[in-house]
Amino acid sequence: MTGKRQPLRGLWRFNQRIEQWRAMRAIKEAFRVAYPFILVMTLIDVIGQSLLTNNGFFFQIYHVGSWLPGLDLWRQLFQVISLVINGIVAVMVAFTTGHYLARTYRGDALAVGVMSALAFLTLNVNYEALNTPTRGNGDAIPQFMENNLGPQGIFLAVVVGLVVGWFGCHLMGWLGKWALKHPQWGQLSWTSRVAWPLLIVLAITTGLGYGLSWLNDGGLNGLVYQGLNAMVTNPGHQGVMILAVTAINNGLWWLGLIGPVSLAGNSSVTSLQNLAYAVQHGSGWHAPNPVTLHTLGDAYANFGGAGMTLALLLAIWLGSKQASYRRVANQTFLPNLVNLNEPTLLGLPLLFNPILLIPFIVAPAVNIIVAWCAITWKLVPPIVYPVPRTTPGPLIAYLGTGGDWRALLLSLICLALSVAIYLPFVRLGNLAGGEDHAA
Amino acid sequence: MRRNWWRWGLGVLVVLAIFFPSTAWMHQRITQYKTNYKTPLNPTIMVPGSSASQNRFDSLITQLRQETKVAHSVLKVKVAENGQLSYTGSIRRGDNQPFIVIAFENNHDGYANINKQARWLNVAFKDLVKTYHFNHFSAMGHSNGGLILSLFLEKYFAQTKHVAIDRLMTIATPYNMESNSTTEQTVMLKELIAGRKQLPKQLTVYSVAGTENYSSDGTVPANSVNQGKYVFQNQVAHYTQITVTGDNTTHSDLPQNKQIVLLIRQYLLHENLPAKDRAQNQADTKRRSVTDETGLP
Repeated sequence: MTGKRQPLRGLWRFNQRIEQWRAMRAIKEAFRVAYPFILVMTLIDVIGQSLLTNNGFFFQIYHVGSWLPGLDLWRQLFQVISLVINGIVAVMVAFTTGHYLARTYRGDALAVGVMSALAFLTLNVNYEALNTPTRGNGDAIPQFMENNLGPQGIFLAVVVGLVVGWFGCHLMGWLGKWALKHPQWGQLSWTSRVAWPLLIVLAITTGLGYGLSWLNDGGLNGLVYQGLNAMVTNPGHQGVMILAVTAINNGLWWLGLIGPVSLAGNSSVTSLQNLAYAVQHGSGWHAPNPVTLHTLGDAYANFGGAGMTLALLLAIWLGSKQASYRRVANQTFLPNLVNLNEPTLLGLPLLFNPILLIPFIVAPAVNIIVAWCAITWKLVPPIVYPVPRTTPGPLIAYLGTGGDWRALLLSLICLALSVAIYLPFVRLGNLAGGEDHAA
Repeated sequence: MRRNWWRWGLGVLVVLAIFFPSTAWMHQRITQYKTNYKTPLNPTIMVPGSSASQNRFDSLITQLRQETKVAHSVLKVKVAENGQLSYTGSIRRGDNQPFIVIAFENNHDGYANINKQARWLNVAFKDLVKTYHFNHFSAMGHSNGGLILSLFLEKYFAQTKHVAIDRLMTIATPYNMESNSTTEQTVMLKELIAGRKQLPKQLTVYSVAGTENYSSDGTVPANSVNQGKYVFQNQVAHYTQITVTGDNTTHSDLPQNKQIVLLIRQYLLHENLPAKDRAQNQADTKRRSVTDETGLP
């Protein structure tokens, strides 16, 4: 190792130490188990969202609506599958985290896993629905806060899984010891060894969830999201603010808080003003709002989804010797092409991975700076025409500017820059192959 | 090595298969945006009849301002014989429904003069579009003003690309000049009928007639107004004839007539009239839609 590589070396050692932590191992294991399910769901979503829905990218460019027979039937079929898996990803993560942690404590892994999944669900019960089962207009209120059970609930699921995994295991252990000390109460059956801790855990989480329902409507997750939203919803026109918001947003993604800022803000007021201008004047040059989260972040810093994961995949193809990384890159390339990167985040895993956190935040930030310079120096026009959310990243700017080749060039430069930023960190992962696993 | 060639070839093919259709799609979408886009500025162009100046509609505008509680700003344009324009008033910033009155220095009656006035109207119109960048508008013409507007739409409007007319209301416009005949066509009517294919297909036309007695508003014969159907019917998207009777229905009073002011608000400015105004309007006017001829008296 040369001296220049020294800080990376330090990062590597830090990563090694963290990986020894029981919690980190549990999280990694939970994601490993959840990954194939999420991969399947996302591959189905890729077809559903980009090929079958009205505003899907491939639906639009290949005019699928005009030649595919039985379109509605196809849509419904794909929707059903995506709904089922997408709807309960977080529950699955809560289960697998609790399950693995209990196994490391040599506890009853299955029981604890189910316990943490139930605890996670109790935190997301819609308490409003219990008081008034129907809304004013007669619609039934869903009994769970369904949004929180999908990908955006992963962070809470991890936390619940860890806490319940630890607490449930110890509770069951103490109960066993207590029964041994007090034989006069009789032999403790497996049922009661599970039932009593379950009661206690549910009592605590129900109390917590009920208390939170007084605070706001969205449960614990809703509370976190509301706070973050208030902070980052309106970054305005300042490059620095946009930079900070994107960095914070990507940091939250890394924690599993997926999507507090909807970066695909096609319909915001500033975008509409830009569109109106472009339609009248024929191009986006001198549009009224050249620098917004949309014109910088969506156009140049979101290839593959948050954190430029499309560049990460290219970096893995170019520089990784780890078989698991290469496999995940191959499997998740298609979803990344249409900006659905959840399986990449869970599969590598990128979430809670201290090495990849740095490029995950730095690469989009650098792209935003580059795009900001290019737009303020009038080298490229800002994007003005709306594009589908599933448009392949490098094409967003080209299509959004109405076919400006300079924007396409800038997109490719941004992609190359991001690959270059990811590459050393991906290569760092090769060390794992050399030292521990001998792949 | 050979397998690598395959892979590269396939990759390039996939990129091309995405790139070219998406480019084509993009161009299609952009034209779509452009055709569907309407500027917030949506002026109403008013053209007075013969012998009237650019101040002809002052009392109408005062009434409209009072009733609609919207301070429509007014821009008045006078076109000299040599095509020179003189502006008075202005379009207030932020007012998206201004009135633009276009009048002519030579405001005399007669077939030749009306044709000249249509040409002058075109000069003024082009200048307005260039200055204010609106891409759609409505128009209202009183008496011969309606003829000027119709001639303009047939002969000159196509010169201005990317501008659409939404609605046209003519008030007591004598499409067959002074003739009371239902069979004889004057030169003016013949010219309008000959050019009717050039009328914008999306246009909605309202032709309002006033009658003092059963045949005339004192100046223009009701039959002459009715001949408008030979120009517009089956040419524009909708053509509706409306006859107003009662007080204030002499030819020159019509623009200030209470019922006609309501019609302007309802049909031309597309206001949501309060229920009481609407009821009053329906009680006092006999509406005759050409599409519903059985209702004719």
